[in-house]
Amino acid sequence: MRQYAMIIDLTRCVGCHACALACRAEWDIPAQDGYRRNWVRNLGPAKTSHGLSFTAYPGLCNHCDKPACVPVCPADKIKKTFTEPKTGKTKTMTVAATWKNPFDGTVQIDKTRCLGCGACADACPYGARYVNTNIANKNLDGDGIADKCTFCKPRVEAGLRPACVQTCITDARIFGWRDEPKIADYIKKGAIRMESAQVQTGPNVYYYGHPKDLELLTKTSTPQEMP
Amino acid sequence: MNRRRFLKMSAATAMAMAAFSLDGLPPKGGLFRVGQALARTNYGPANGSMGAKEITSVCEMCFWRCPIVTKVRNGKLIKIEGNPKSPVNGQRVCARGNSGIQLLYDPDRIKYPMKRVGARGEGKWAKISWDEALEEIAHNMNKVKKKYGPHALAYFDHGASAENLREVFMAMGTENYTSEPAFFQCVGPAALAYLETVGYIATGTRQYNDMPHAKAMLLVGSHIGENVHVSHVREFIEGLAAGSKLVVVDPRFSVAAGKADIHLSIRPGTDTALLLAWINYVIQNNLYHKEFVANTCQGFADLKKEVKGYSLEWAAEICDLKIADMKAAIEMLAKASPHVMIHPGRHSTWYGKGDVGRHQSYAILSALFGAVGVPGGLYFPTPVKVGHIDCVEEKSKTVAPVEVSLKEDSAYPFSAAFGTVTADIIKAINTSKPYPIRLLGVNGVNIMQTIPDPYETMKAIKKLDFIFCEEMMAGETALWSDIILPDAIYLERYDGVYAYEGLTPYITVRQPALPPMYEAKPPYWIAKNLARHLKIDGFPLPDAKALVNHDLEAVNLSINKLNKQGGIISLPANPYRTPENLKIATDSGKIKLSVAAFEDEDLDAIPKFQPAPAPPKGYARLIYGRCPVHTFSRTMNNLWLNHEVPENKLWLNDEIARQLKIKNDETVVLENQSGKRSNPIKVLVTPGIRPDAVYMTHGFGSKSPHLSRAYGKGAADGYMMTNTVEDPFMGATSKRTNFVRIVKNKSILDIPEIIPVPAAIPKFKLRKLAADRQKAGVRPQYASTGDFSIQERRGGE
Repeated sequence: MRQYAMIIDLTRCVGCHACALACRAEWDIPAQDGYRRNWVRNLGPAKTSHGLSFTAYPGLCNHCDKPACVPVCPADKIKKTFTEPKTGKTKTMTVAATWKNPFDGTVQIDKTRCLGCGACADACPYGARYVNTNIANKNLDGDGIADKCTFCKPRVEAGLRPACVQTCITDARIFGWRDEPKIADYIKKGAIRMESAQVQTGPNVYYYGHPKDLELLTKTSTPQEMP
Repeated sequence: MNRRRFLKMSAATAMAMAAFSLDGLPPKGGLFRVGQALARTNYGPANGSMGAKEITSVCEMCFWRCPIVTKVRNGKLIKIEGNPKSPVNGQRVCARGNSGIQLLYDPDRIKYPMKRVGARGEGKWAKISWDEALEEIAHNMNKVKKKYGPHALAYFDHGASAENLREVFMAMGTENYTSEPAFFQCVGPAALAYLETVGYIATGTRQYNDMPHAKAMLLVGSHIGENVHVSHVREFIEGLAAGSKLVVVDPRFSVAAGKADIHLSIRPGTDTALLLAWINYVIQNNLYHKEFVANTCQGFADLKKEVKGYSLEWAAEICDLKIADMKAAIEMLAKASPHVMIHPGRHSTWYGKGDVGRHQSYAILSALFGAVGVPGGLYFPTPVKVGHIDCVEEKSKTVAPVEVSLKEDSAYPFSAAFGTVTADIIKAINTSKPYPIRLLGVNGVNIMQTIPDPYETMKAIKKLDFIFCEEMMAGETALWSDIILPDAIYLERYDGVYAYEGLTPYITVRQPALPPMYEAKPPYWIAKNLARHLKIDGFPLPDAKALVNHDLEAVNLSINKLNKQGGIISLPANPYRTPENLKIATDSGKIKLSVAAFEDEDLDAIPKFQPAPAPPKGYARLIYGRCPVHTFSRTMNNLWLNHEVPENKLWLNDEIARQLKIKNDETVVLENQSGKRSNPIKVLVTPGIRPDAVYMTHGFGSKSPHLSRAYGKGAADGYMMTNTVEDPFMGATSKRTNFVRIVKNKSILDIPEIIPVPAAIPKFKLRKLAADRQKAGVRPQYASTGDFSIQERRGGE
């Protein structure tokens, strides 16, 4: 399976929040507390073992190798056939209202079948999901609808870049297949996953940066335990 | 059952119990459907903004004006992106550019012309018609002109909205029209220093700094990255990515400092000491570009002599820096010569005295390194030709003769070329000297947060016969206005032609995504119709669209032709010069390491170090800067931007915080040297600020209750600026000459002096100031009722 991934190059990032706002505009996300697919937390200035750091945690769904959010979905299971756009190859899987796509590795939600129970949002160690309670599937007696980053799947399938990548003013975000050189080279030269001893979900957003910035990012923002 | 459902049920049960206990009946709608009445099924746009109708335009969320594409679906603006054909930003826009949508749809927008019905500053208005509003303005302009003369009219302006109306003021005969806070409260000292040294304004609205090709860069106080102008930040990052070294001099650990090879945490107010010591070091150690200096510069011998006394040892004590670090930094910069970017900065009204000299010092360093007209250095703008039509003919804009001119006879020898000194206008209103100013027009600038001292500004406004503003949001300036004109926002109008003269020149135009909402009107319409009420001849074209087409026609373009090419055309650049074709535009044709014109006015031809007074005992210097999510004090009410960064924080040194027992995120109030208190502000405890300074981002703490989201959120640096020192060159007002201490739980905490101040730096004299102010009749407490009431209300929370 090929996997979409993203590099966030903190040597280029200035923590400007353009990514978060392009995402909000692109997907019309209400400006309510905790409602976001994409966020920036400015970190520091703080001491690290390599000197002072003033960096940012630009976050989004990690489209994990082993997503914690998928197995907890209590929605009725259905059979769903996935198609690889390029080859037309298909694969049928039994899924609830959220799944990991077998051809691109992205984690997606079927909003028409979401109960809004929040189990997925509660399961994610990164807090990457939220439940929009302004809306609900009334036919399902739903409480809201979960939402999160889709890696801008509709845009990517149309040949565009994710909205956050397109707007990034310093080109600090690089999106593509995890095995493409533009991504793989970064991983080779030390881009990290925000993982810890307890949290090993295989996130596919990688952070590259000066050791002091990665240290501050990890110290302040890497989840230390599963929720 | 999961946690969320459990919590929800508990809440619902509690509510239901309450309902039962009140009327004895179960609540309607069932136990689990509480709060679901508003539920609607809307999964959001399935394909995002894809497929929306696209119109190219130009951003105005800040003055940098990136080319953009606006995307409209079903009559609603849904997305703003960078123009893919733009050579400066491509499809990128910053946080603010993305959020222009929420300026357009802000429910707090000024919707109609309004007339004040309460006291000035109270913010009570009644809706009136455009005809009534314009007639009332025209009537008052004529009346004031007749009674006090044309110069009694003054105009404070900034940005794209202000240009057309400026010509109306000019047609009235006043000399007080280019009094831009953008110059006298911002770029003035830097602009003058570069104009006199290298012959052009290398840093103004545009910055001709070739960062992408630099091999080393120096930033003094410039915090690129927090201060976001998209192409400028891109150029900075491209330079670093290509391997440029970076030296950052800043009392604060900025985002740029986080990317620097060397960060020098300098004592505030001593930058010129460091720069002069570096200039001396470069000369003494033969690190300068001898050929360039010999062929292109004049005054080298004088410079060498003048700076001889400034040693690194001396600077180390003055600046509170280590000799080794200072030496390593200048060697790093010198090694990159001539491809070295001594960044000229922009906002330069820091200390009043010595601001021109500081920027002169940058220019001198650039010249010594031969870094002018070469890749990586200061480059030359490429003139881009477009047409121009006056709204009012030149001959009808004659400045009326005056016995003593506020502008031409100013105490500052270099101000008149740029306009009337802002602070002089406020003084003239308050003193009627040299002549009375009785009417103020304000356009596109929040004079309360921009011009220090705001208490003097409020006092002045109370004295005026009339004040009106053209505004989009009912901010602080609107509160004080007699008539408010609702300005169409940049997404609703045509404006001028935008020609970029930087590394990648282009021509583009602003055009509306949608027609103006409510009764808002574009600036051209407003100026044209005010001119009609004033019976001023002019505005020959029907509207701004015709004006744009007229200006494009001169270069064989039109809006239609531009639109067929993606709304923008790129032009070749000519930024660099060979030694043979390098022409310096000063009167002597040389770069002036020593500026005789300054000496002629009894000012220093070569900069001298003039220490800015250090904080008095118990106080720290208040410094301020930008946050990448906000522009000045303009965007704090924007739904999305407010949601992202709703308030500013006070950066407090961690050791000071420990000694004062102040914790991170605790709320404090600031009191400045004359007793003025701030709104409450949360503290960021950090090692990233020196103990002798505190820092906050500018523009928060709005005092206008008509900005429902921004009102009272965070603290305003501007309201702490009551001590200003005028720049002797052009009368710009200093903004880093104010000191604060901390008030926590109503008790005043003195900020301990951790770093001793050398005897060569005088301390700010606290008592003297208080006495002076009392003599001048200013109460050392809150000077305005509006200010006082907010303090009281918030203090009681």
